[in-house]
Amino acid sequence: MITLYDYELSGNCYKLRLLMGMLGVDWTTVPIDFYPGREHKSEWFLKINPLGQLPVIEDDGLVLRDAQAILVYLASKYDAVGTWYPRDNPALLGEIGQWLAFADGITGTASAARLHDALFYDFDVEAARAGAHRLFRILDEHLWFGEQEGRDWICSASHPTIADIACFPYIMLSEEGGVPRQDYPAIRRWCDRVKRIKGFTVMSGVFPAGPAKAA
Amino acid sequence: MLDTAKTRWHPVAATYDLPFRHVFHAQLLGREFAVWRADDGYVNVWENRCLHRGVRLSIGINDGRELKCQYHGWRYSNRTAGCTYIPAHPADAPARTITNRTFAAVERYGLIWSAEEPQGEVPELPGLAEGELLTLRGIPVNAPADVVAARLEGYRFQPNGRTDGSDAKVSVEASNEFSVALRAVDGEASTLAVFFVQPVDSNRSVIRGVLDGKVEGAVRLAVLHHHNDLLSKLRDIAEHEAQAQPVPAPLEPVIDRVSPELAEMPEETKHGRKATIRVEVARKWQAADGIAGFELRPIKGLLPTFQPGAHIDVHLPNGLIRQYSITNGPGESDSYIIGVKLERDSKGGSTCLHETVRQGDVLAISEPRNNFPLRRDAMKTIFVAGGIGITPLLAMAQALSNQSLNFELHYFAQNEAQLAFPEKTACLGTSLKPHLGLSPEQTGARLREILSGYRSDAHLYLCGPGPMLEAARHVAAEAGWPETAVHFEYFKNTNVIDDSSSFEVALARSCVTLKVPAGRTILDVMREAGIDMPSSCEQGACGTCLATVIEGEPDHQDVYLNDAERKSGTKIMTCVSRAKSARLVLDL
Repeated sequence: MITLYDYELSGNCYKLRLLMGMLGVDWTTVPIDFYPGREHKSEWFLKINPLGQLPVIEDDGLVLRDAQAILVYLASKYDAVGTWYPRDNPALLGEIGQWLAFADGITGTASAARLHDALFYDFDVEAARAGAHRLFRILDEHLWFGEQEGRDWICSASHPTIADIACFPYIMLSEEGGVPRQDYPAIRRWCDRVKRIKGFTVMSGVFPAGPAKAA
Repeated sequence: MLDTAKTRWHPVAATYDLPFRHVFHAQLLGREFAVWRADDGYVNVWENRCLHRGVRLSIGINDGRELKCQYHGWRYSNRTAGCTYIPAHPADAPARTITNRTFAAVERYGLIWSAEEPQGEVPELPGLAEGELLTLRGIPVNAPADVVAARLEGYRFQPNGRTDGSDAKVSVEASNEFSVALRAVDGEASTLAVFFVQPVDSNRSVIRGVLDGKVEGAVRLAVLHHHNDLLSKLRDIAEHEAQAQPVPAPLEPVIDRVSPELAEMPEETKHGRKATIRVEVARKWQAADGIAGFELRPIKGLLPTFQPGAHIDVHLPNGLIRQYSITNGPGESDSYIIGVKLERDSKGGSTCLHETVRQGDVLAISEPRNNFPLRRDAMKTIFVAGGIGITPLLAMAQALSNQSLNFELHYFAQNEAQLAFPEKTACLGTSLKPHLGLSPEQTGARLREILSGYRSDAHLYLCGPGPMLEAARHVAAEAGWPETAVHFEYFKNTNVIDDSSSFEVALARSCVTLKVPAGRTILDVMREAGIDMPSSCEQGACGTCLATVIEGEPDHQDVYLNDAERKSGTKIMTCVSRAKSARLVLDL
């Protein structure tokens, strides 16, 4: 079984819980006292991940760090239908890779602002917020034109991919870092769509959406 | 300058911002709105604030009929924004004062228009024809509206179909402080673009553009991109300009406590039964054999919020007053639908509605009252309806169905033709269980089946003819249902009222003591003394004139209270019940 080194309030850990829930994969959790214990910087944990970051998984003897890398691994291994990370579609894989990097950008901005506000990290919060707004503007425009073209998801596919899962958590938690989403209505609608994916789960600060149209 | 704009219509959203079951987060002049479209198409623009704890309703859940706050689950009805259910008080009907502030909403030119205090109509725009236009992507700008509007006068663009070019002639056709109309002409091609600047706050705006003429496919996308690119550039320039200025203080909207209309005490009238609402019979039809359906629409304004189980008094042309349950499902707030059975021994009420009242007639009705509230915290709810007793239970069943809660609606009738409102019951699927043509004995046996196996998380609601209700309550008690889980509503009180006693009633809060002689009711005597007590059926069935007893022994003659409530001696129906003791002290 997969072991997830987890922190409940981490959006990057939530990504993995989210995808594993949607894929119907079982896992066990090793809770890490990220705050205030800084257990991710402890000696024992640095042996698992020398970067001292969450999340990390162990699966069949493989130890893997980095949320985006783990999403790629989980989707490649456990998605029987092969839609979350379609290995036979190079163009789509390229797009997914591009947006996984974008998700890292969101972590570096929106999540940093949240760490500053909620966990008292010593970051330049104004720069982090401005960076988040810059990314959100780009994504909102992308999603708005997607809707005009009949595309519901971040990548050019008729179904969600791990790019949606990678971007979702720190967008949804952005208000906790003082980054309102009022000016990004297309992002807000996309968030509703992500919440309506079968198997969706919540975390502290992420609310469910209403029922979608009956199939 | 922005203050005067409160009376002016502004766009606050675009039609594409309100997809199925979404809540849009809008803002105008510093005031936030939760904007949502109900499944019936109605666009709600509400104060973005739950009346309970002030949490933004824009993160709430649009279930198609009601908006549910994300925090403690308070539910607000489509159109009226009245609260219909408070999960922490599952047995109570929320007070009518719990009504959120609503704002005007008009959908035009692919935009949703609103205003805090709108004057006149949404502006007519010559050159823009409904359905023949293209709504551009709204561009939020961190700059004051006047800065953006000034920039828009210099906006240069290509007409539709010529977006590859760059030499169109653009002229300003009209402009004011919040909008600019421009026309681009390039050879044969000509496009009118109207831009509205939505003043979000003192330093924030949204550019909402509308183009004349319909374009499709690739051209449409090219036009949308063309303007999006140009407006994004304009946004960057406007933001740069605004950054050079001192940042104005954000606008602070005043949050009203409660609308004056609701806060006001009702007018004093001699008669306790008020019919302040005028409705038109928009439709009258045969809802089943012997049952007429009436759709009652307001003459003006909106009807008050109703909750499942609520009834209205209908004041008939012949002077009679009758009570009818509202059958509507949640959020169906544009009219009230009632079902009226023609009674064989009618004293003139049902006959009048069946024979005299026609489509187009105007009736006076009371505000809805809910003395039969529905809990929504049961794991299983059983409804047992006999004949026309379906009406309140139908409203309840639709509410539970909408929330995907577990229920069964057992509907007893003589035959299929007597099953009322088939179009509504059809939506309940297999939860609807008709029981047709049963004798009283067979009905009893069927009720024993239905009510066997009581579980502590179940609730039972009964409505039907007196004998059937008695039988059902008896069966439920035998099957182990506690009285607290059995809720019922009688159509009428068939008890013979004994009004031969005389006694004294002391009203503790009013510091008044009254004598109730034989032949008169407590309600009558109180009214005569100027105490305005609400009432409805005035025969001990509906529960409206309930009072709390502080001291003394009531002589219960109603059919509203259950046995436990009667025994407790703490409640009394003032329209029929009396005192066994010489003195009764009421909490009034």
